[in-house]
Amino acid sequence: MQYAPQLYTAALRMARNPADAEDLVQETFLKAYRAYHTFQAGTNLKAWLYRILTNTYINKYRKESRRPSEVDLGELEDMYLYRRIGSEHSAASARSAEDAVLEGLVEADVKKAVESLPEVFRLPVLLADLEGFSYKEIAEILDIPIGTVMSRLHRGRKALQKALWEFAQRRGLLPDEVADE
Amino acid sequence: MSDRCDEALANLYLYLDSELDRVSSDRIRAHLADCPPCDGVFRFEHRLKIVVRERLREEVPPHVIAKIRAALETAHETEI
Repeated sequence: MQYAPQLYTAALRMARNPADAEDLVQETFLKAYRAYHTFQAGTNLKAWLYRILTNTYINKYRKESRRPSEVDLGELEDMYLYRRIGSEHSAASARSAEDAVLEGLVEADVKKAVESLPEVFRLPVLLADLEGFSYKEIAEILDIPIGTVMSRLHRGRKALQKALWEFAQRRGLLPDEVADE
Repeated sequence: MSDRCDEALANLYLYLDSELDRVSSDRIRAHLADCPPCDGVFRFEHRLKIVVRERLREEVPPHVIAKIRAALETAHETEI
């Protein structure tokens, strides 16, 4: 069962609960087993499995609206987290504030931040940042144009950074600015 | 901020996602070597990407593996 850990990780963040994630991975392997004769040897097995996983999730477990146009993340600036840290710290202390945030965010924060993303953004972010699929592979897995992958990934990452920033603040990860005097 | 900075920042994610061709990547790398502010942004975003990936990883519980294996065996047997 190659790729089981990866598929399970992705399934958990898609379904957002362990029971559905288990079913989702099991169904993915069963479908892959039954459809294996349609898999073209030499092509990308991992991407093929993710396509099955994603389709199964979308068809069966998705609880959200299909229409991405309804999802409004608001206007977020690029490099959201980096800029927030920089805006609250002088150049001299920004580096240590960056370290404090990157080192201080725990697994639960990152998982919740990802899960807070609307699904249309969550899936591309997971495929890119968790699995390292190329934009072309993501386009094939999600069956959307590459330009759409890029814009959703871009917006999704900004929203993820905003969520991470909120966790960082709530945890008090940012060191107090040391007075220059 | 120079044009080179604008160009590098516009391509930040394409660069980090390895989606740029070699010539463009090399241009950005050369710029980063000369420009500490841009280098700071790229380093941060690169580290963040790794943090996200590493902190999302899950171990598959053994009972899940066992369940899937059993389901696959059943599927195999019903086929025969």
